[in-house]
Formats: sequence, C-alpha cells, structure tokens
Amino acid sequence: MRQEHMLAYVFLLPAALVVALLIGYPLVRVADISLRQGRMMNFARIDTLPLGFGNYRIVASDPAFWHSVAVSAAYVGIVIGMAFAIGLGTALLLNRRMPGRRILRTLLLIPWAVPGVVASIIFLWMLDGSFGVVNAGLRGIGIAGPAWYVDRSTALVAVTVPAMWKAYPLITLIVLAALQSIPGELYEAARIDGASAWREFRHVTWPGIRGPATLAVMVSALAVFRDVDVIYTATRGGPSRLTETVSLFVYNEGFQYFRMGSAASAGLLMVLAALLASLIALRVIRRESL
Amino acid sequence: MLPPRWRVLPWWLATLACGVVVLFPIYWMVMTAVMPTEDVLSTSPPLVPDFAVASLAAFRTVFSIHPLLAWIANSLGVGLAATVCSLTVATFAGYSLSRWNFRPQQILGALLLFTKLIPATLIIIPLYITFNRFGLLDTYLSLVLAHMTIGVPLATWLMKGFFDRVPREIEQAAMIDGCSHLQALRWVVLPLTLPGLSACTIYLLIVSWSEFIFARTLMRSDAHYMLTVGMQSFVGEHEVDWPGLMAAGTVSLLPVMILFVLLEPFLVSGLTKGALAN
Repeated sequence: MRQEHMLAYVFLLPAALVVALLIGYPLVRVADISLRQGRMMNFARIDTLPLGFGNYRIVASDPAFWHSVAVSAAYVGIVIGMAFAIGLGTALLLNRRMPGRRILRTLLLIPWAVPGVVASIIFLWMLDGSFGVVNAGLRGIGIAGPAWYVDRSTALVAVTVPAMWKAYPLITLIVLAALQSIPGELYEAARIDGASAWREFRHVTWPGIRGPATLAVMVSALAVFRDVDVIYTATRGGPSRLTETVSLFVYNEGFQYFRMGSAASAGLLMVLAALLASLIALRVIRRESL
Repeated sequence: MLPPRWRVLPWWLATLACGVVVLFPIYWMVMTAVMPTEDVLSTSPPLVPDFAVASLAAFRTVFSIHPLLAWIANSLGVGLAATVCSLTVATFAGYSLSRWNFRPQQILGALLLFTKLIPATLIIIPLYITFNRFGLLDTYLSLVLAHMTIGVPLATWLMKGFFDRVPREIEQAAMIDGCSHLQALRWVVLPLTLPGLSACTIYLLIVSWSEFIFARTLMRSDAHYMLTVGMQSFVGEHEVDWPGLMAAGTVSLLPVMILFVLLEPFLVSGLTKGALAN
C-alpha cells in the first residue's frame, strides 16, 4: 500500500513541476513586476525598481484602462449573447431525428476548430469596405455599407462577428448533449396534457438544459474575455483604441508601450475579476443542479 | 399536412440553411483564393464563380513571396513537440487525479482549473522576461514550453475524464494476476483509453496550430514565425494581397479540418460529458 501512495505522487510530479515552473513562478514574477514602480527598458533589471502600489494607482486612474473595461463588457456581452442564441437554436434543430443529422452536426460545429487568426482574416476580407462580399450584398439592396473595421461606429461590431462565429459551436455542443439527456417521457406527458410548443419548451426543455447552458455560457464568456487573437489580427485595438479589450490593453501596454508594470497590474486585476465572476457563476450552477 | 415521413423536412431545411450560412465564410475564403483577381477585386463579386477560370495562381504567388513552407514546418514541429510533452505529463497526472484523491491531487486539480482564468497576454509578460534572461527568445524551445502552459492543464483534465471511465476493477484484476501497477497501467488501462488519448492528441494539435499570442511575442525573426503569425503579418501591409492571404488561410485550415472531422465524434461523446460532470 505504501508503494501505491508513492505512485500516486510520482505520477503527479511532472505536472506539478510544469505548473510550478511554467505557471506558478511566472505568476509570482508578474505579481512582483506589478509592484515595481517606475519604468525600466532593460527588462532583466525590472526587479531593481522600488516596490509599491504605483502601477495599480496609474492603471486605476488611466481612462484608457476604464475604456477597455467598457469595451470588454460590450464585446463579451454581444459575442456571448449572439453565440448563445445561435448555439441554442442550432442545438434545438440538431436534436430532431432527421436524415444526415450526423453530417449536419459536424458541419455546424466546424467554426469551433478554425484558428482565431484565420477566422479574423476571413471576416476582415468579407467586411472589407470596397471589395467585401457583405457590402456587395448590401449594395444590391441599395445600402452603402461602411468600411466595417475602420469606421469608428462599426469597428466594435465588426470584431464581434468572427468571435461569435467561433464561440457558438461549444454552446451548441453542450446544449445538445443536455437536450439528449432529457427523458422522452417528459415530452410525451407534456403532449398528453396538451401543452403548447412554447409551454413545452418553458417547462420541459428549459429546466433540462438550464444548468449545462449556464456552464457553457460561463466557459465561453471566460474564453472570449481572455482571447485577443481575433481583435489583434484585425485591428490591434484600433481605430484609436476603440476595440481595445482589457486583455488587449494588457498586451499593448506591455509589448507596444513597454510599460510592463501597468500591464502586469491590469492583467492581475483581470484575473481577479474572472475569478470572482466564475465563483459566482459556479454557485449559481450548483444551486441549479440541486 | 405532410405525410409523417416528410414532417421532418422543414427542420431539415432549416438546419441545412444554418449550415450554409455558418460555412459561407470558409467557402468564400476558398473561392477568393481560386478566383481570378479581377473577379475578387470587384464591387460585385460573383457568389458562384466561373470554375473554368479558377486557378491555383494565388497559391503559387503566396508560396513564392513568403516563406510559407518554413512557417508550416515551424507550426507543425512546435505543435508536435508541445503535444507530445503535454500529453506525456498529462497522462500520468490525469491517471493520478482519476485514481487517487489525496490533498496533492485536489490542490493540483484546482490549480490546473485556475490556470483557465489567466489570460495569455498576462502570463506572456513574465515568460518573455524569463526567456529573455536565459537567451531563449526566438527559439522553438521557448514556444514549446509556452504551449505547455495551455496544453498540460487542458489535457490533464481531459485524460482524468477518460481514465474515470475505465473501471478500477480492471487494473486490480491485472494486478492480482501478477502485474505491477505500472504494467497494469501500460498494458491494460492505456490500451482502453486509446480513443481518449487520440482525441486528446488531436485537441492539443489543433490548439497549438491555432495559437497566436505566444508565437507572436516569442518568435521575433521572420524565418521562425509560426503560420498564424505569418498570416497576421500580411494584414499590416499597405495593400493586402487578399487572394494570397485567403490561399494561405485555406492551407492553414486544411489540416485543422481533417483533425476536426476525426475529433468530432469524441467531442460529442467524451468532452461534453466530461464538461457536464465537472
């Protein structure tokens, strides 16, 4: 039995080392960097700067940071709202028995696997002001479409499109799995009771998928909140920082303006916010499933 | 009223219509890559192009102007290395998490979940500084290590899920028959999780192939670019070569599509059930 215990720990060791060296140590470093006040272009000597909360004060009083918070809220809200609607709709469609359902399911899930950069460049092209296919279609019905990614009023909407396209399949997948675990007898009972399609959805389908759907929304929202691939590829946060989410703010502060200290403190605030949000969401999900 | 056999038709058509809409962007990318330039750069591009004039010219041009083959090789090499490393570490850890539930297992499991909250844009700051100090910037090793920060947490939880579905009794029976625990794992449990291992491998390959922000930050020289970074560098150019960029996009999407079709059955059966259980 002692040998058993040895094995339990030995197997854990490589992963523990990876977590300690590649995630734990960097997190300690980044926390340290966030507390180093002043600027140092030689990154190797950042830890010679004095300690203090200066960076957090700078970030908290930086309008660009608060703007990025608002951009993130709008971005995540639009992307997840639309992705949830599309995901729920496609899951309900795929839940029917029909010929070729398997292939249709595969086709509808494909965007999930498309790399963020590729998704972003496809829509950059489709939404191009002069030669984009979307504007060509709009022109057909007499509307002059804007240069979506350049126009200040449409840039944020434009970057949500590829993100939403990539985000909905995970929701489809999880909701579909939940739908298929709802016992058929419940629907039969509802039908015998003469329930309308809406009441059937409201009282049979929705309670069956609410928990998993909340989980899917939480996981997807976290991913969209963290991700910068789509926006960085298309606009790098522009025009004039209008599409700069918090995650991209962190990257631009660090690697465009070389302000590692404020980048680190903004990033850690982001982790804190994500941690709080997911603890609340988990509590909600747990209450659902009881 | 439709006969019962046909009653599903409206649903089928609606699903098909959804499929057409969501796959149109991929279709359009491929069409842009093979259409003649005067059709592409027109204010009313034909939705169904004239296939008689379709050509691979854009592919030839983009491969001759940019070191696309080198970028593909870089992405492939780093992807394979990161996948093998992550999977090895994660298989042992996943097994430990599945079979034992002591304090260390609980702590590590929670830490691995916590890493999902850390944005790549944050963790890249200390990684960049540390790799810089050790002279590892612009090396493939740095990127493999960086990809492991995503791969190990992801694969450990996936593998735990796959091991959970192999009953303990199976390896206990093997051990009663004289196998050591390691032998039982190697010859009895691992073969049973082979579908899980392959699903995990494919998942990790897709993640590595798609990864952008680590690759963008750590690999500075043109020849060391990953494919995603290479493609993104087209966008900054003054005049974007759309057919060329779409050709590169098509090439980069091809392996992912093949992997995805292989992964999809597991995604539906395995990964979601794991997600629901957690």
